[in-house]
Amino acid sequence: MKKLMTRLAMSLAGAAFAFAGTALAGDYPDRPVGVAVSYGAGGATDFQARIVTMVAGNEDMLGQPIYIVNKPGAGGRVGWNWFSTEAETDGYMMSAYNVPHFIAQSIKGGVKYSADSFEPIANWGADPAVVIVGKDSKFNTIQEMIDFAKANPGKVTLSGAGLFVGHHIAALQIQKETGAKFAYIPTKGGGAAAMKAVIAGDVLGGINNLSDAFRAREAGNIKILAVADLERNAEFLPDVPTLMEAGYNVDNSSVNFRGLMVRKGTPQEVIDKLAAKVPEMFAHKRVAKRMKAGGSPVKVMSRAEVQTMWAERQAFLADLLKGL
Amino acid sequence: MEFLGYFGGVFEPVSLLLLIGGTIGGLILGATPGLSPTMAVALLIPFTFHLAPAQGLILLGAAYTSTVAGGAVSAILLKIPGAPANIATALDGNEMARQGHGARALHLSFLSSGVGGVIGVLLLIFLTPMLAQWALAFGPSHLFWLAILGVTVIGSLDSKSFVKGLLSGCIGLWLSMIGFDDIYGAQRFIFTDALTGGIHIIAALIGIFAIPQVLEMFSKGRDGRAIQTIAVPDHSLKDSFREILGSGRALTIGTVVGSIVGLIPGVGGQIAGLVAYDQAKKFSPHKDKFGTGHPEGVIAAEAANNAMVGPSLVPLLTLSIPGSPTAAVLLGGLLIHGIFPGTDLFERNPEVAWTFINSMLIGQVLMVVFGIYTAVWAAKIARAPIPIMASAVLVLAVFGSYSVQQSMGDVTIMISLGVAMFFLEKFGFSAAPLVLGLILGPIAEANFNQGTLIAAAQDGPMVYFFTGPLNLLLILLVVLSVGYSFWSNMLHAPGSAKLEPAE
Amino acid sequence: MTASRTQHFTAAGLVLAVALSVTWLSFTQEPVEAFLFPRLISVVFSVLAAWNFIRAASGLAKVGTGLTIRHAGNIWPGLLVMLIYALFAAKTFGFYASSVVAFLAIYTLYDPTPISNGRGWARRVIVTIGFMIVIYGLFALLLRVQTPRGLFI
Repeated sequence: MKKLMTRLAMSLAGAAFAFAGTALAGDYPDRPVGVAVSYGAGGATDFQARIVTMVAGNEDMLGQPIYIVNKPGAGGRVGWNWFSTEAETDGYMMSAYNVPHFIAQSIKGGVKYSADSFEPIANWGADPAVVIVGKDSKFNTIQEMIDFAKANPGKVTLSGAGLFVGHHIAALQIQKETGAKFAYIPTKGGGAAAMKAVIAGDVLGGINNLSDAFRAREAGNIKILAVADLERNAEFLPDVPTLMEAGYNVDNSSVNFRGLMVRKGTPQEVIDKLAAKVPEMFAHKRVAKRMKAGGSPVKVMSRAEVQTMWAERQAFLADLLKGL
Repeated sequence: MEFLGYFGGVFEPVSLLLLIGGTIGGLILGATPGLSPTMAVALLIPFTFHLAPAQGLILLGAAYTSTVAGGAVSAILLKIPGAPANIATALDGNEMARQGHGARALHLSFLSSGVGGVIGVLLLIFLTPMLAQWALAFGPSHLFWLAILGVTVIGSLDSKSFVKGLLSGCIGLWLSMIGFDDIYGAQRFIFTDALTGGIHIIAALIGIFAIPQVLEMFSKGRDGRAIQTIAVPDHSLKDSFREILGSGRALTIGTVVGSIVGLIPGVGGQIAGLVAYDQAKKFSPHKDKFGTGHPEGVIAAEAANNAMVGPSLVPLLTLSIPGSPTAAVLLGGLLIHGIFPGTDLFERNPEVAWTFINSMLIGQVLMVVFGIYTAVWAAKIARAPIPIMASAVLVLAVFGSYSVQQSMGDVTIMISLGVAMFFLEKFGFSAAPLVLGLILGPIAEANFNQGTLIAAAQDGPMVYFFTGPLNLLLILLVVLSVGYSFWSNMLHAPGSAKLEPAE
Repeated sequence: MTASRTQHFTAAGLVLAVALSVTWLSFTQEPVEAFLFPRLISVVFSVLAAWNFIRAASGLAKVGTGLTIRHAGNIWPGLLVMLIYALFAAKTFGFYASSVVAFLAIYTLYDPTPISNGRGWARRVIVTIGFMIVIYGLFALLLRVQTPRGLFI
């Protein structure tokens, strides 16, 4: 009796909530697509991922909405570990990537992924690292800070969003180039916590995202000394020199590139379809307007360009992190 | 008094509709175990894409306010806090409900939420510049001591045994360290793959509070007499009003503690309720009644967790620093509309800023009104027979814990912790200190590590952690708190030979 | 009603075992920086667990009601359904299908209405389906949560 009723209930429920079976790749996507973000809700990556995917549901884009799943922890390791080992490879779960973060972490070891575990789709943004100090700091230029750090090794405390993220890479590059020695203080809670430490004066300075630093400067809380990129940022910070201009040979390897990727093993047709549509989606007028409003620098790159960029970073970081 | 000029914006038809919708929706989401305020606000962000900036913020503000209060409903009726903020409410609130005072507890909880909430928002309106400086005064060493102070609260919280209370807290601290270490990326205490991501606080909260309730219901068996979970007879609203007016002490302690704790970035509202509950207990002449269904416990806890809402936005609105996970999501909601919080926010975008704040003020009042209505419905649901209740809570717990991160691992963790907690509770360990340990562990650790690194670059850890007026004050409070718990425990120790009369 | 000394002794022993193994791990694992805080906590944890164990062993632990045979007998069928549902069935058979079965099974197990009563069955099925429709509306339609689908849904 019980068995019978159970079966009845099961079939009733089946009828009530029937979903389509496994779809063919040609129909992809026939249901909403997820994007796993390896950082908490409200962080820069999460916030930008929500904006750049907002037009996915349009008929001329994917035709299905994209939803965000947050899997934060350990500077992104938790989310990418999950994505590289447990995510479906049917194209219905993508992940946001942060370069150089995940590449540097995989070089340092202790994680289950490397650049080969993923297939890039497209890049939406590039957020350079900037060197900042509190608004009342005695440092007014990057030279003053570095000269002080040379004279007082280990006394200049610099906050950043964690170990082996773009901020840390920038600090390592500056140290390697100048011979100065900083005390790099990784904070938990991403760029916001690192920014708080600078504004509150817990540390002498910090390395942070250009977008967040731009807003904090607008609010009158900090000074921005230099940007770790090849060119000045004309849109947001035309007056801030690059480290190169200041005379330090520090390139754009610490720039935080954000984009979407799928897990290795995803069918080629799905990758091709995404690689064709996603950059279009990132370049959409409404996306661009919202990104600009939020102070987030956009840089749309195709799958092929991202593959080159990943390979370059892989080689550079393997060299920089050797012996650390 | 500038804000008075912007009340008009709140009462435009669309805004008012959003305010009411946000409040009712927030109450329902808040009352559902597993849906925290942070999640509710994050889920609403996409809706605000299509709204004007001020209107989008009204929706978010209303939802934030009411989810925090809505969590009290399930805390009182089912002993399952909707969010970490409502843990303290469950301690006395559920006892009241069991004794047939469910409606009274719900009334008191919404009324005290309203009072605390309004005062909190008023603080935000009038004292923001001053409070912003105060919020910044807390560096890593202070936050470390503050977390330790929170841990010492454990000893006196909802436990008949001092040592078992502290031990429960230690178990919570240990659980908080499981998974990848946040700074060095080292793997700690990971025995199975489900644990690599660590223990998510919401999954843990659902497991620790909901599953023991389900098992408790199972233990009654097929007993026709015990079929009703709890009866919730009607209670005169007028009496509740009178009772609130007569509970000045609990209300004041709750509001003051909630406002102060809410202000400190990173510690946030999760512990405001627990700390206020503990303080109300220590200052009450009826200490022994706490934990046995004492209305003051509910009042202090709920006043605190809504009083924290306003001040928790101070660092966000003035310095662009989100002080809590929910504030971080709100920041996203602001940025999407091109509004950068900062010292000049009120000059550049007065309309948006003041409409947002005013909507929270009105939202508090609406929350009380609709909350009391919702409570009537919720009470009806709570009258469901035990077998339905047990099944429903179990299914909700599974769905709720899964949907936080869409992870099966979280469901496994939720069930395992829940079953373990059921047996631990049978031997005098308690859930509230354990969860407090789980919440405070990461705060204490992150600030310990950060402080140690900064200290190494300055004058060493002794100077960094043990000098300065704020450090010394916090250390003094820690010592007093431990001493007090120890002393009162010795006084009332069940095993002590001299049986001192209770006060 | 207080639990027997043996029960308290066993519980305290288990907690002490956990505390000691956490301490051992904290002091043996690498890298040292990441285990500084665990060391601090685990020592306090062990001291408290030892204190608790001594109290339990000397019969001083009196808080907590322990578990009676009758309660254990009532709990195990429901506990079994719960564990199968959450740890295995939900993923294998899909969230909605397994939730319907688990809900109905627990309702049936603990419903005082005799199992042979046809109207009792009708009521249980209706309540189950009604509740699951609410869950579907809340999670799938309103919150857009994608749950594992497994063999069924």
